[in-house]
Amino acid sequence: MAKPSKSRSIESGEGHWIEWLTGSVSAIAVIALIGWVGFEAATQSDGAPDLSVKTISSASRDGGYLVMFDVENAADRTAADVVVRGEITAGNTVVETVEITLDYVPMHSRTRAGLIFRNEPAGRSRIFATGFSEP
Amino acid sequence: MAIEQTHVNFDHSRFSKGLARGLAGALLFALPMFLTMEMWELGLYIDRSRLLLLLLVNIPLLILLARRIGFENISTWHEAVRDASIAYFLGLLASAFVLSALGVLSVGHALPEAAGMIAIQTVPASIGALLGRSELGGRDDDDEDAQDPLDDDAQSGYGGELFMMAVGALFLGLNVAPTEEMILISFKMSPWHAIALIVSSIVLMHGFVYALSFSGGHELEEGTPVWHALIRFTLPGYAVAFAISFYCLWTFHRLDGIELTQAIMSTVVLAFPSAIGAAAARLIL
Repeated sequence: MAKPSKSRSIESGEGHWIEWLTGSVSAIAVIALIGWVGFEAATQSDGAPDLSVKTISSASRDGGYLVMFDVENAADRTAADVVVRGEITAGNTVVETVEITLDYVPMHSRTRAGLIFRNEPAGRSRIFATGFSEP
Repeated sequence: MAIEQTHVNFDHSRFSKGLARGLAGALLFALPMFLTMEMWELGLYIDRSRLLLLLLVNIPLLILLARRIGFENISTWHEAVRDASIAYFLGLLASAFVLSALGVLSVGHALPEAAGMIAIQTVPASIGALLGRSELGGRDDDDEDAQDPLDDDAQSGYGGELFMMAVGALFLGLNVAPTEEMILISFKMSPWHAIALIVSSIVLMHGFVYALSFSGGHELEEGTPVWHALIRFTLPGYAVAFAISFYCLWTFHRLDGIELTQAIMSTVVLAFPSAIGAAAARLIL
């Protein structure tokens, strides 16, 4: 396959066995890729994003309490602009509200974020998603 | 101009012209990335081990690339390493200069921030610096090709072909990989769109190289069925483009916490420009 200077090059008719091996492996990989995505396409449901918030850790920091959490999306749809609110309650009154907006929570995936409270959140806080838009 | 060994009669004007071309190439090829907001931010938050890996992977890439298209007419690995180092440094210089000129980088930045921002831009800029010499120079010596000792083996071999496809994929892929649009598109589209995109990427790749009569295009020997070239060149090329796309997205933290199918869809989106870059590399480089 010597290139005749910079002009059009001509592929030889019979390739080396390495070319065929690489080609076969690639072909199988591409077919597997299409098969996998096709399988997902056939089995996916059209339901709305299903968001849940799970607290990971809570720690005292300078100027507040940092609560890390994961937002999980169990549905086959991606949620965008997910608003997550954290509240600290004392009895029936809400003492403090903090809020954060996450860019995306993709399908079957999780996005980690943190909220910073000024009051001690242990035992009296709740974190929940309040809304999203479709991307 | 006769090509002698560089140390025998060193041509200063030729060498400095090569350096200038390298800088021009770095600017030309990496400017879209210099002007991308996501790249600045990535410099701040990119995981340092991933950044290190990217910077390390760039070294053999540049050396192999220099071996094919260097600043000078090179014939030894020793010279390839030298040219790769020069290109890396020119990339560093170009990114530091442009980022400062744009005001993205200022004296007020902490050293780790500034280092991260420059380092991540250095990779595309250094590839551009190497390509700049080859593509902007336009092979001004007629006898260069004839004397090129690599012409028959490494340059046109199957491995070389795949490597050039990888460079092309990296080149076009890197430009768009850091942008948010890549993941946004994959969120918007359904798996059916993804399948259509895979198929059209492969068809376009094949068409670019074999069907359309660009200069530098490839032709099949008489009597060879079309699917031969598809299996031997186009599909491996797409696999290379896909792998490079996956690596870019992973490096840029676009796949963190993302489920496999969604990650594949994002990669398919990026593999589209990468595949076209890979096909174009077979024609141009």
